[in-house]
Amino acid sequence: MKMDDKKVRNIGISAHIDSGKTTLTERILYYTKRIHAIHDVKGKDGVGATMDSMDLEKERGITIASAATYCEWKGHEINIIDTPGHVDFTIEVERSLRVLDGAILVLCAVGGVQSQSITVDQQMKRYKVPSIAFINKCDRSGANPFRVIGQLKTKLGHNAVAMQIPVGLETHVQGVVDLVEMKALYFDGENGEVVRAEEIPQGLLAEAKAKREELIEAASLFSDELTEAVLEEREIPAQMLYAALRKGALKREITPVYMGSAYKNKGVQPLLDGVTHLLPSPSEVENVTLDMEKNEEPVILTSDPEKPIVALAFKLEDGQYGQLTYIRVYQGTVAKGSTIVNVRSGKKVKVGRVVRMHADQMEDVDTLAAGYIGALFGIECSSGDTFVSPGINLTMTSMYVPKPVISLAIVPKDNKSQMAMAKALNRFSKEDPTFKTYVDPETNETIIEGMGELHLDIYVERMKREYNAEVTTGNPRVAYRETITQRADFNYTHKKQTGGAGQFGRIAGYIEPVSDADFVFENEIFGGAIPTQYISACEKGFRQSMAKGPKLEFPITGVKVVIDDGASHAVDSSDMAFQAAARGAFREAYLRAKPVIHEPIMKVVVETPPEFQGAVMGLLNQRRGMIIGSQDEGVMCAIEAQVPLAEMFGFSTVLRSSTQGKAQFTMEFALYRQVPQSIAEKIALEVAQNKKSAA
Amino acid sequence: MSRDIAALRREKNIIHLTYKDIVMLKKEISYRNPLMSLGYESEDILPDGGFGAVMAHAGVGKTALLVQMALNTMLREKNILHVSLHDAVGKVDVWYHELFQNIAQNFSEGEIKEYWDKIQPCRFIMIFKVENFSVPKLEERLTELMEQNIFKPHTMIIDGFKFDEIGRKPLAHLKELAAKHAIRIWFTVHAHRHEERATNELPVWFLHVADLFEVIVELAAEDKDVFIKAIKGKITDSSRETLMLDPATMLVKNSK
Repeated sequence: MKMDDKKVRNIGISAHIDSGKTTLTERILYYTKRIHAIHDVKGKDGVGATMDSMDLEKERGITIASAATYCEWKGHEINIIDTPGHVDFTIEVERSLRVLDGAILVLCAVGGVQSQSITVDQQMKRYKVPSIAFINKCDRSGANPFRVIGQLKTKLGHNAVAMQIPVGLETHVQGVVDLVEMKALYFDGENGEVVRAEEIPQGLLAEAKAKREELIEAASLFSDELTEAVLEEREIPAQMLYAALRKGALKREITPVYMGSAYKNKGVQPLLDGVTHLLPSPSEVENVTLDMEKNEEPVILTSDPEKPIVALAFKLEDGQYGQLTYIRVYQGTVAKGSTIVNVRSGKKVKVGRVVRMHADQMEDVDTLAAGYIGALFGIECSSGDTFVSPGINLTMTSMYVPKPVISLAIVPKDNKSQMAMAKALNRFSKEDPTFKTYVDPETNETIIEGMGELHLDIYVERMKREYNAEVTTGNPRVAYRETITQRADFNYTHKKQTGGAGQFGRIAGYIEPVSDADFVFENEIFGGAIPTQYISACEKGFRQSMAKGPKLEFPITGVKVVIDDGASHAVDSSDMAFQAAARGAFREAYLRAKPVIHEPIMKVVVETPPEFQGAVMGLLNQRRGMIIGSQDEGVMCAIEAQVPLAEMFGFSTVLRSSTQGKAQFTMEFALYRQVPQSIAEKIALEVAQNKKSAA
Repeated sequence: MSRDIAALRREKNIIHLTYKDIVMLKKEISYRNPLMSLGYESEDILPDGGFGAVMAHAGVGKTALLVQMALNTMLREKNILHVSLHDAVGKVDVWYHELFQNIAQNFSEGEIKEYWDKIQPCRFIMIFKVENFSVPKLEERLTELMEQNIFKPHTMIIDGFKFDEIGRKPLAHLKELAAKHAIRIWFTVHAHRHEERATNELPVWFLHVADLFEVIVELAAEDKDVFIKAIKGKITDSSRETLMLDPATMLVKNSK
């Protein structure tokens, strides 16, 4: 296989839920000859495209929504990568977006820029993904691509510029005028597979000339050569224009806009041309890795197949042949039979089968070079793991994994669901290190833990969709913690004499708050008041006590235990006795050390049109939020606040209703902070009630 | 004495911030109140509704000086509204964190974090793009904050105001607003090299609004040092020390 990374495009297709992403993907696969028939995605009475696409996937068993689908267009290799469109700032979203080098933003010619378009656009902006836009559904009544271009400018702040103008709209949609080549394009054949280039119809010539001028003017900002050509009134070759537009697009300073109707088979092939002309190849994108040996210092990778390997496992899939691990190679070449190291576990792995995905089939390859996406078989790893050549220690994702801040009890509806749920949970916790699951020993319920309400909602939904596991969920619970605020001494004797060997252990010392560690244990005993062999038992006893506060039963953090005295008995002292003594000592001192509750505080960023800024600030304020600041960006404004997670339940609904659905928010864990007294009392009351009802 | 206790506790790696520590930390920062030593009388420097300006060339330390004054205000548990016309929220926040770290450098990370949590609610950052900024817009935002009881500033900082492009009218409007709500406003004033100066040391283009300001100080770079000079509003006292910005910490220090 000839490897020329200049002809590779790793792209995502981002879209509002009903703007035709599935249909567009279908057509792309059809025109690139990856699938051989078109199956329309038709909603039943507007049931919705999501369901349609799922049904389609099931029915056909193909992977439209799979991690990466590979196709070819005019000598270019295009990998279409699935991009989750949800709002939550999760590791999964971050990972998917960093695999992309560019994106197609699909918009509806009638609906225009809708709230979800804003969300996906924000994600692209955050990860600096260059994009081109496709205005779909030009066959619909009310279609107006130029209104949508206006919205791209005003609502999203894009420097959007039309690459085409439509030949006919709504029911009269026939094709498009290519403003670069100045040709009218029509799509013939049963499924529009034959592209016919004609002269521009007379009626459209004036408009086409005017729009081409706008296009050239916008592009000339990025090319002196083009500016000169314009000034000298020379003929502008298509390649010169594309080169200038490409420069702007790569910097995200211009958004070229294509248009058509995927459903009516109009305008898809020019869009693919646009992908090859205007979106970056892997070596044009700067990828950063973290050097584990230098405290995660960022290192810029070069897309060089000869250098040591750096590859990211970005998605796992259960196939009929076992686990399929999708990887993107950023540097070096992953070859069949080579040895790579999983940076997280330090394990060496021998690469077995290497494949590339082709919609519904896979192709065995010998190597995957830098910039390429493929899949490995039989590699035991988690999603997000980095693979490198032996001897280097770089990671594509930070090793820092925040602890979950919210939990939810889930109960399967029946036995079948139980089995499916177990399978799903196993998979999800491998995929996402911030998603955890365990069985509560007291209630026997399965608990899932994660980084936010939406984060858990998505997994519950995925359990239903992907694994047919019907589960009911309990109320979300916030992961409170306890800590102490002052020093308290202890001197506790554990003594038991119930026949046979007794138990004896005395421990004295103190506990006090520590802010930069969860638990610190210090032994300051001199002279053997407690024999050395029992010291670790003491530590174990204190550590056990940290798992659950004596009163509210939240995990305890930030405690330093110092033991400085004690006593033992030649016969009755044992590990068990000192563990019990440590637990008793902790109980004795804990309440005197003035314990307080800490709660997770989330960094919340709300993006809203300025007219709702006051309302949004009010909402955040009502939720005990501390507003850090507001950023006015003209069409939108961003408000950043720190809000307790406990107050964020149901926020999306309230935010939608107070802003006519125009605001959206992201949320991520920021820190733990002490709960105010009044709230602490409420929490204590709730805990007491829960205990009562459990009993 | 309290410092000894604190040092002792730190030595043993035990962190427990007591009232004494907080008082001491406050004292330390109030000691570093940047402009008091220049001959200004009250801790606020400005009267209610007063305007103050920190004038300097680009990159000399205008923002650093104003953020120190803001930290001083926050430590006195008074609210500061920081309006920036060129930086993002995150960048402004970093200014505060870094200068606070420098101010409290004798304290452990845990203590600084705990104390920062206490004073942070006294600060609100508001960012505008310079081309979108207008006084009516600021007034609208301010009214929203105050009406909903979200934030009532005691002092405001406006960083990046284009004095050379804006007429007198918006500033006069802002002055009325400041008087109405009894807010003090500090501005950064970007001075240019080789520009014409009037006899009162002020740039000529600033004269049309100079009377609106009660206090004007200038940061002047001389060789590698940055000196702070009071141009307007100080109580004349020749025995006062000259102040300068420490280039390493960007904190104000005496020049001796």
